[in-house]
Amino acid sequence: MKCKRCKAPAVVALPSHHTAFCPECYLIFARRQVEKAIKEQAMFTREDRILIAISGGKDSLALTWQLLQLGYNVSGLHIDLGIGESSVKAREITEKFCTTFSVDLHVLDMTAQGLGIPEVKKRTKRPICSVCGQLKRHHFNKFALENGFTVLATGHNLDDETARLFSNVFRWDTAYLGDQGPILPAEKGFARKVKPLYRMSEFETANLCFLAGIEYGYHPCPYSTGASFTVYKQLLLDLEEKQPGRKLSYYEGFLKRGRPAFSSLEEEQGDPVLPCERCGYPTSTTVCGVCRLREAMSA
Amino acid sequence: MITVHTEPDGATVEFEKLNTVMQLLNRMGRKSTRVLVIRDGELLTVDCRIRPRDTITIRDVISRG
Repeated sequence: MKCKRCKAPAVVALPSHHTAFCPECYLIFARRQVEKAIKEQAMFTREDRILIAISGGKDSLALTWQLLQLGYNVSGLHIDLGIGESSVKAREITEKFCTTFSVDLHVLDMTAQGLGIPEVKKRTKRPICSVCGQLKRHHFNKFALENGFTVLATGHNLDDETARLFSNVFRWDTAYLGDQGPILPAEKGFARKVKPLYRMSEFETANLCFLAGIEYGYHPCPYSTGASFTVYKQLLLDLEEKQPGRKLSYYEGFLKRGRPAFSSLEEEQGDPVLPCERCGYPTSTTVCGVCRLREAMSA
Repeated sequence: MITVHTEPDGATVEFEKLNTVMQLLNRMGRKSTRVLVIRDGELLTVDCRIRPRDTITIRDVISRG
């Protein structure tokens, strides 16, 4: 197989793009995917201070590396969830990466705040993945706003985004469908949120990490087994196998033709977002989920 | 003999003979767009030929949390 750009031997074949690349040209391809996402969605500029949520997995590390290569002003925030060996490895890899590439890294330790996930799991009846996601979103947003960052970037990729969209459609969750996308503006107590890897699949970010020499963690969370999100991802991967390119067209079609309709509906019928009575951060109830969790943990 | 290591599960499988990466993936029940296939620190595409005594790593790339 030959590289589509330079005809050297290819090392990555991408059926979804009907193409293949050698190592050098693959890195150009990946860079252009990220540049296109940033430009088309007007995500940020080189004047912005960008906080990247770094988990230690391939997507957040690939994102950080790529934004550094493009000359953006980035810092990292890692949340140590306290989930045994999985969290220890994730933190080690994140710290090593940030030292290697001279990235300013901040770490929040959930166990030190009385919110380590194993303890939370014992005290809540809600699905732990849902609680964990809420905790992370709350702390990433809070840290960004309190420390003068103008943008919060996450490593969500095309597989994440299409699986989430599929799940939202299956539940006809109009609130989530109305605000799902690669950019959410800064408003109502939220920092601007962006997902510059939304055009790239997990396979593509894994290839990027390999070819850029990025060591990443693949120690899955022990609580994630059987999560419905993973089921949707597998369904869409099977579809992509039969119809290459379908995931990207599904997602881009939603952004152009689906999301505007759901956004309008949500503006008319959605729950208002107000400051939490305890912490002041946005919530659709009087006291936000994180404050309620803190109260439950200290009871 | 061809030795194949799989990640992240850490398993090792051996094959007497294989012709191509595609044949390897079929025998392992893997899809080419869900794994990295690595030999001597380099990525392989499905049409690459496999040599006797090769040591190959198949790394799953689909995360589950």
